[in-house]
Amino acid sequence: MTAPPDDTTPTDGSRRAAGRAEAAPPADRPLVVALLGNPNTGKSTLFSALAGIPARIGNYPGVTVEEKVGRYRHRGRALEIVDLPGTYSLAAQSPDERVAVDVLHGRLAGVPRPDCVVVVVDATNLERNLFLATQALALSLPTVIALTLSDVADAKGIDIDSATLGARLGVRVVRVAAPTGLGLDTLGDAILAAVATPAQPPHGLDKHLAAVDPSRPPAAREAIARYAWIEELLDGLVTHARPPRRTLGERIDGLLTHRVFGAVFFAAVMLALFSSIFWLATPLMDAIGGGVDWLGGLVADRLPPGPIRSLLVDGVIAGVGGVVVFVPQIALLFLFVALLEGCGYLSRAAFLMDRLLCGVGLGGKSFIPLLSSFACAIPGIMSARTIENPRDRLLTILVAPLMSCSARLPVYLLLCGAFVPNIPVGLSWIRLPAVVLVALYAVGVITAAGVAFVMSRTVFRGPPEPFVMELPGWRWPRWAVVLERVREAVLSFLHNAGTLIVAVSVVVWALSSYPRDDAAIEAEVAAHRATLARKVAGGGVDTARDEAAAELAALDTEAGREAARRGAAQRQSALGRLGRAIEPVVRPLGWDWRLGCAALASFPAREVVLGTLGVIYNLGDVDAGEAEGASALERKLRAATWDGSDRKVFTLPVALSIMVFFALCAQCASTLVVIGRETRSVFWPAFTFIYMTLLAWLAACATYQMGTLLGW
Amino acid sequence: MTLIEVAIGSTACVADVNGTDPTSLRLLEMGLTPGVRVRVVGSAPLGGPLELELRGYRLSIRRHEAARISIAS
Repeated sequence: MTAPPDDTTPTDGSRRAAGRAEAAPPADRPLVVALLGNPNTGKSTLFSALAGIPARIGNYPGVTVEEKVGRYRHRGRALEIVDLPGTYSLAAQSPDERVAVDVLHGRLAGVPRPDCVVVVVDATNLERNLFLATQALALSLPTVIALTLSDVADAKGIDIDSATLGARLGVRVVRVAAPTGLGLDTLGDAILAAVATPAQPPHGLDKHLAAVDPSRPPAAREAIARYAWIEELLDGLVTHARPPRRTLGERIDGLLTHRVFGAVFFAAVMLALFSSIFWLATPLMDAIGGGVDWLGGLVADRLPPGPIRSLLVDGVIAGVGGVVVFVPQIALLFLFVALLEGCGYLSRAAFLMDRLLCGVGLGGKSFIPLLSSFACAIPGIMSARTIENPRDRLLTILVAPLMSCSARLPVYLLLCGAFVPNIPVGLSWIRLPAVVLVALYAVGVITAAGVAFVMSRTVFRGPPEPFVMELPGWRWPRWAVVLERVREAVLSFLHNAGTLIVAVSVVVWALSSYPRDDAAIEAEVAAHRATLARKVAGGGVDTARDEAAAELAALDTEAGREAARRGAAQRQSALGRLGRAIEPVVRPLGWDWRLGCAALASFPAREVVLGTLGVIYNLGDVDAGEAEGASALERKLRAATWDGSDRKVFTLPVALSIMVFFALCAQCASTLVVIGRETRSVFWPAFTFIYMTLLAWLAACATYQMGTLLGW
Repeated sequence: MTLIEVAIGSTACVADVNGTDPTSLRLLEMGLTPGVRVRVVGSAPLGGPLELELRGYRLSIRRHEAARISIAS
């Protein structure tokens, strides 16, 4: 290494410091230091190395761009480190970039203008990174250049004469290697020195501007001139200590971009990602579910039956459990995405999938959020944060809930098992229920593609966003950065989304529990018993009489009576009445009011629909995940008839219409809350709910009507 | 001749970026300025984006963007 012992030696530029209008900031308040840099320059790593866990993560006023602030002390001076959004240029185009520019100019209300800018420059990609760095010098703010990834540059044999570069630019250039903490102290000194004796911006650009065709637009002229200036600045400063040879990274790159191996590797990585959030999370989620049940049981044993116990067990504990249960999937997905991002593969995946998604108006970066949404839309929507383009990000968030998530699977499996005839289709080993199951997943994907296509050409029409994406070099992910992303994702979900999800669960609990009139419930149970007794006494068809006799026997046990009471209570509650009121709306789908009720009650989460059907059909609490519960529910659903007639409610078209409805509907309060949180708006979750419910209704109606017409 | 016509693995010299819209500015900002040498490293399947190497780093752009970059013969 030929770096000088002290990189902070004041350069010619800072000695020239004079005549700056602004006075040095007072010593009694923290110095505001903004970190500015291209994406993938190790800016987040430097932030973590300096400030550790961010002291504050918020939003810049009026925009959906994240504000990350941390604290650092250097030689007794408090520094407030502001991590600006990654940007390639200060000629701002995207909202993220505009925020960075506005903060640097002090134009954002409530955000102080920084006292100092640290431009994070990737030492392995100096030429392009200096584009932003030289733009930043024109801001006339005290500036320091931090050469990050200098350890990687060393390994590649790239030697940069940082002292001369600093002298040519008139600022301090500090070599840092954030993971090992190398150069952080020197960087702190350089920041304090830059603030104390500000430099004047260099004037190298003007000469090159004069050489560019004046008929070009000013921004284009500036870009061309700037690169010419950078080439001059770097002349003779970068030497390769040894002839460039194929590093391990380049050899890996050769393999991963290979036409065959690249595709195989991509498929393997995506399969691992998907199956891990699908299967690895399941035992953890089951454990959480078990813990919640145990806690509910504990509380239920300690408290007398009544509204308080019901509120605590069925409202609050169930609601909190419904939030915590998402944590394993969110943590696992963010672990995977942060690892892929950290080693540089995320951009590679976007590169490979871009063509496929481009056709429907999305981009390559939408692939992982959409794929993860097959496990659960919540981590999927949250992982859309990796999409820089705001239009693509919003569109991805809006269609992600259409992917059939794992919560829909129990509904599909129960109804396919009960109502789709198990007959072979074509080849003997392909059975009809399996075909229906695949078709339901396809319905979601095709609808999402259609919705994205239509919306990208209507609501989101505008000039095409440039898809110009850097493919960063391969490197080892930094654990500190990876774990910070996981921690941040989990906490922001629990803190911001969790509270609202619990509130929604409690409201739906209240609607399905009240008003409650015990006398009316007993009367309904007694009336039902009398009807059954008449059927048994009256004879008639043997099977019907046997069924009635079995139900009568069940009703006369303590548990059966309690289940019947719960069913009556739910039918008489506000939700039950609402279910009856909306019957005309669900009639075209082939549903009776009980199904309408179950759909309403499943608003907090789709999987609740099976439990609700269990209660409504007097089965009490059934666990549809277990064979016994599922078969009891199947029997009950098969036997269900329309009020006052012997006509069966559940036929094949009705079962298909329910499944299509659940494939497309937005019956998941948590997803809607997370959409609200990620888009920082009330409009987009409302929009999602309305468009998905409308589509679900139309598709379910078409399915039922067509099925009936075809005589299925 | 434009950048999409350059064979994979070969190097070309950028003559100009056509257009004056935000996309052409972004291409210039990323270093695709007249005179720079670009190697076409590869291409994503199904007519997907191109992978380029220039100024010591890798960049991917879609084909219709590559079609706006004319090449010095």
